[in-house]
Amino acid sequence: MKRRNFLIFGSAFGLLAYFGAKKDSARKDKDNVRKDNDFKTVFASVESTIAQVQAHMFPPNSNLPSASAMNATFFLSEAISHQCFDRDTRAFILEGAQELQTRIDGDFTALTFEEKEQALRAYEETGYGSSWLSQIMTLTMEAIFSDPIYGGNTDELGWKTLQSYGGFPRPTQKYIGVDHV
Amino acid sequence: MYDVVIIGSGASGGAVAYTLCMAGYKVALLEKGRLIGRDEFSKDELAYCRRDLVTPNLFDEYHTAEEKVDGEWVATPGYESGMSFWNGNIVGGSSNFMSGMLHRMHPDDFRLKSKYGEIEGANVVDWPISYEELESYYALAEELVGISGYFEPHPHAPWRSTANFTQPPTKENAVVKLLDKSCIALGIKPLVTSRAVLSQNKAGRNACYYSNYCGSYGCSSGAKSSSREALIAPALATGNLTLLSNTHVKKIHTESKTSVKHVVAVDTLNGKEKHIEGKLFVVAAQAHETARLLLNSANEYHPNGLGNSSGELGKNLIFSGGGSGQGELHKEGLKEIAFEELMTTGLFVNRSVLDWYFVDNPKDGRFKGGSVEFMFEHQNIIARADKDNEENGKMLWGAALGDRVKKRFEEQKSIRFEIFNDWLPTDDCFVALDTAHTDKYGMPVGKIRLNGHPQDIKVGEYIAQYCEKILEEMGAKNIYSSVSAAPAQNLVAGGCRFGDDPKTSVLNKYCRSHDVENLYVADASFMPTGGSVAYTWTIYANAFRVADAIVAHLKSV
Repeated sequence: MKRRNFLIFGSAFGLLAYFGAKKDSARKDKDNVRKDNDFKTVFASVESTIAQVQAHMFPPNSNLPSASAMNATFFLSEAISHQCFDRDTRAFILEGAQELQTRIDGDFTALTFEEKEQALRAYEETGYGSSWLSQIMTLTMEAIFSDPIYGGNTDELGWKTLQSYGGFPRPTQKYIGVDHV
Repeated sequence: MYDVVIIGSGASGGAVAYTLCMAGYKVALLEKGRLIGRDEFSKDELAYCRRDLVTPNLFDEYHTAEEKVDGEWVATPGYESGMSFWNGNIVGGSSNFMSGMLHRMHPDDFRLKSKYGEIEGANVVDWPISYEELESYYALAEELVGISGYFEPHPHAPWRSTANFTQPPTKENAVVKLLDKSCIALGIKPLVTSRAVLSQNKAGRNACYYSNYCGSYGCSSGAKSSSREALIAPALATGNLTLLSNTHVKKIHTESKTSVKHVVAVDTLNGKEKHIEGKLFVVAAQAHETARLLLNSANEYHPNGLGNSSGELGKNLIFSGGGSGQGELHKEGLKEIAFEELMTTGLFVNRSVLDWYFVDNPKDGRFKGGSVEFMFEHQNIIARADKDNEENGKMLWGAALGDRVKKRFEEQKSIRFEIFNDWLPTDDCFVALDTAHTDKYGMPVGKIRLNGHPQDIKVGEYIAQYCEKILEEMGAKNIYSSVSAAPAQNLVAGGCRFGDDPKTSVLNKYCRSHDVENLYVADASFMPTGGSVAYTWTIYANAFRVADAIVAHLKSV
């Protein structure tokens, strides 16, 4: 299976080229600054949509901590902008949020709960949408159950909820000290 | 100039370095990855299990996997497929991250062709050495590297020159009471798993502290018997070892037909190239990368790759056949033990079954089978939370998701089995160079053709049916198993077969190149067949054997 297929054929936005998703081994500092700024700009345009989808999947009235209480959107932003995160998937997450905004022809955040449910279930019917929702689900799970050093799992509430705790020793730095780029 | 330059610091590189340093030789140990020390390891699921931080980024370094699609071989680069053949590129290699459930190969594994004859479509040959020639090195590895366990006689267990393990088994979860009883009820003999994890303190290393997160993680007590802990650390203490981490070898340079002059290495931190000279050279880069390095070292003296006059370099790559399965032990209806005992964290399941290592009965026929390990599902929290969250083809979210995940964590625990059987060597499983793709150092990447022999699947499925019965007897629910021809990327061997005939093998019986006098290969590349157990104990043992041959070689020059 070629994982890039759904990225290339799934959307018309073409953000892959924008983010340098093609193999480019010689990255320079200057380019990294530009890409970082590009990321921040694009993420800002989809942040509220992603946050609302996370909140819909992990609401306050569940047996799991809510996405909002676990800082899941902040976690997601930090996680996908780190150099160790797959660059194709990073682009896909941003693209998929824009695609969702386009599909509903408006502001996802303004929808009622029922309308959101309907919109997300309809999105799930497409292979592209299903893949995107799975990515958001996984990243939100990571937010809730990673070590709190990454900014989620506030007060270890994720672990406490399941009575399952990360092992010792705990990390003292993110990503084994590999720098954020 | 070093006496010996070793490329790769995993199990085999460490064993050779240890032996040579103890014998007083000056050794350079080259490792492309960085050093992560015992004190730096943590149980960070995100970093170690969900991101490529101890393996290369697949956009920078990758392999292409060649698979048959509609009758045609199609090669897909790793950055597209997501398929990674990297297994822990730090000092100590993948031995840092192993689960450590190790067994010796059986004497008949060394003479599979003689014992079972030809298998159509498979390139099975006997080894040029016997179990008798390797046994003392298995014993050496057991003691020196540190393998804990308890020997129980079994018709399919290889003989031992020592009565029992010097380290008792690691502590066990109470589930073994249920597992043992269920096996015995079915006429199956459960055995205590021998494990490359110390149950007692040993030479600067602390006993296992039962962290609940062992496989896929580095060990913070030194109990796991990695090359770094067991071999590289004491080798460094001799003062004879120069450990060069962040040093990637691009090619091996020869200026004649029979001798290596130096390796061309890149400092991965600053990109600068350097030449490292030695009297002898040992390649221990893990099977598929060892073959690739030798192929990439072709020049006018070795136009088809270094040490490849036989044309066999890269051929007959093998993985481990088999598969896995699991079932859920639920709070409700749990037999034999209390649920609280089952949920106790950190303790091992520690059970293996060798009953089907050889099959010979009127109903099923006579064929080489495999081994089985039992364990709990990996306890990683994110991975367990983020699985099977679908119903009727739709994702669960909201309150339904919360109920599903909470129940999974609080009312059940999954027990798994893993089957190891021979991955038969064939003409359609090999590594070659992919000239259409280069890594970030400008070198052609390895193109790995993947094809399993039908017998591999047959054997795996045969064993899986018995394993499922064991889980049924235990009262497990939602039992399933999966046996396929998909390779276990962390269990790779072959590609530089050893043998007595230079026309049909790359290495001689001491794993020295038939063509190049000062070149050895110490990793699992030498294996013509793989046995039906994880390779690591055999890799350690054979590397100690090769190291003794190198010492004898050095004494003669």
